[in-house]
Amino acid sequence: MPDDFQSTIEQRARVIATFKEELIRRLNLPYSAEDLHEDISLLGSGLGLDSLDALEIVLCIESCFKIKIPDQNIAILRSINTVVDHVLEQQARPGGAA
Amino acid sequence: MRSSLLKPQLAAAGASFRERHGAEVAARVAGRAAEYAAVRDAAGLTDFSFLHKFRAPAERGMDFLDALLAGNVPKIRFGRVLHTFLADDDGLLLGDCYVANNDEEFVFLCEGIAPDADLRALAQAAGAAEAGLEDLTDSHALLSVDGFKAWDVVREIFGADVLGLPYLSIEVYPFEGAPVRLLRAGKTSEFGYLLLAPQSVAPALFEALRAAVLKRDGCLCGVDAHDDLRLEGRFPNIQAEGLRVRDPLVLGLQWMIDLDKEKFRGRDAIHARRAGGLRRKIVGLAAEPGNDALVTGARIFHAGQPVGEVVADCHSFVLNQRLALAVFPVQLAYSGLSFRLGAAGGPVVKTISMPPIMPRSLTVKLDEM
Repeated sequence: MPDDFQSTIEQRARVIATFKEELIRRLNLPYSAEDLHEDISLLGSGLGLDSLDALEIVLCIESCFKIKIPDQNIAILRSINTVVDHVLEQQARPGGAA
Repeated sequence: MRSSLLKPQLAAAGASFRERHGAEVAARVAGRAAEYAAVRDAAGLTDFSFLHKFRAPAERGMDFLDALLAGNVPKIRFGRVLHTFLADDDGLLLGDCYVANNDEEFVFLCEGIAPDADLRALAQAAGAAEAGLEDLTDSHALLSVDGFKAWDVVREIFGADVLGLPYLSIEVYPFEGAPVRLLRAGKTSEFGYLLLAPQSVAPALFEALRAAVLKRDGCLCGVDAHDDLRLEGRFPNIQAEGLRVRDPLVLGLQWMIDLDKEKFRGRDAIHARRAGGLRRKIVGLAAEPGNDALVTGARIFHAGQPVGEVVADCHSFVLNQRLALAVFPVQLAYSGLSFRLGAAGGPVVKTISMPPIMPRSLTVKLDEM
């Protein structure tokens, strides 16, 4: 595999693993990390989390990855993948969190 | 072939019909693009009467449904709806299901991919008669109102009380003296309401909803537009990727399963596959604008080798590009990667994070109306 292809996978896999582990722990979800598909809807259908859970997810992201989630930006919280996209985007910015 | 109670109304409106697993469905009415736009910008009225529809008394029905379905039926609170699935003994999908705890009864809606006779035989073998399961499939119509303004349509018919219903809930409203069971549920990413109406009032309810939808610049819809809307919103579609893949684990439907349940149809097979580890996984794909070759059945290549297959596709009118779902080995099933479509040197397609759009309905707070 080309290096950039493989490094994209590795970078993304690390963020996914961290986020899933924290999500399961903080919300006491009855699933393993492998059970959670990255496109699963976090709010409403899918995991069916409520507004309190959404707040916990925001805190989880902010503490795990040292980044801020803009107020009212629910688009970021639509799925694990959309969260991971935001984290990677923030980390790629100059001076972004590691 | 089973036909809808509302076929005369749909035929008069110009609907084209086709068969789905022994039932006749209205595939298109106003045209795919117009129907899609109606749901995203206004409201669409769709006949979902082809679903299997049942009710069962609460006490006996709960155990029966719990033994059948992957989700946990006793945990459904009064007035709430569970989205789960029915599997066969091999743990492969047979039906996409809603189960509603409607106080004295459970309402069970099943979008099946098996012939009517097979599903009925399955239910009988599982103890449907002893559970008091009543088949409403032929005696009731099921209408779906979906869209950015769907809430306004149902408010006009049933009153402002409907605005207080949370997602995945059920309530009963009178219409011309008959009880209509209203489920707030949908698979388009926009507001969605399913209305289960007895035959005596179904045509009148259809006409009332149709008038309310048209008043808001919406239209009658067929199921083809819903296939597009479901994929774009990344709702599971048993008629598309579900039919082609059938393994709920590969499809990422673990959230529909209560993994602690000791008994449900297909449980042992699902748990055995889960214990063996996931080897394939479904991922979103997008083509460059103008590339129309991203279609179901197409193969996906990486480093000169076939690595995946497209299992569902649609044209996204919002994004103006083709979207798809494809099954990949888990080690390649990540968003943000480039692959080749159809051949080692084929056009580039990229894996994407789903859902790729932000529906307007998510910006509306009904409890503040």
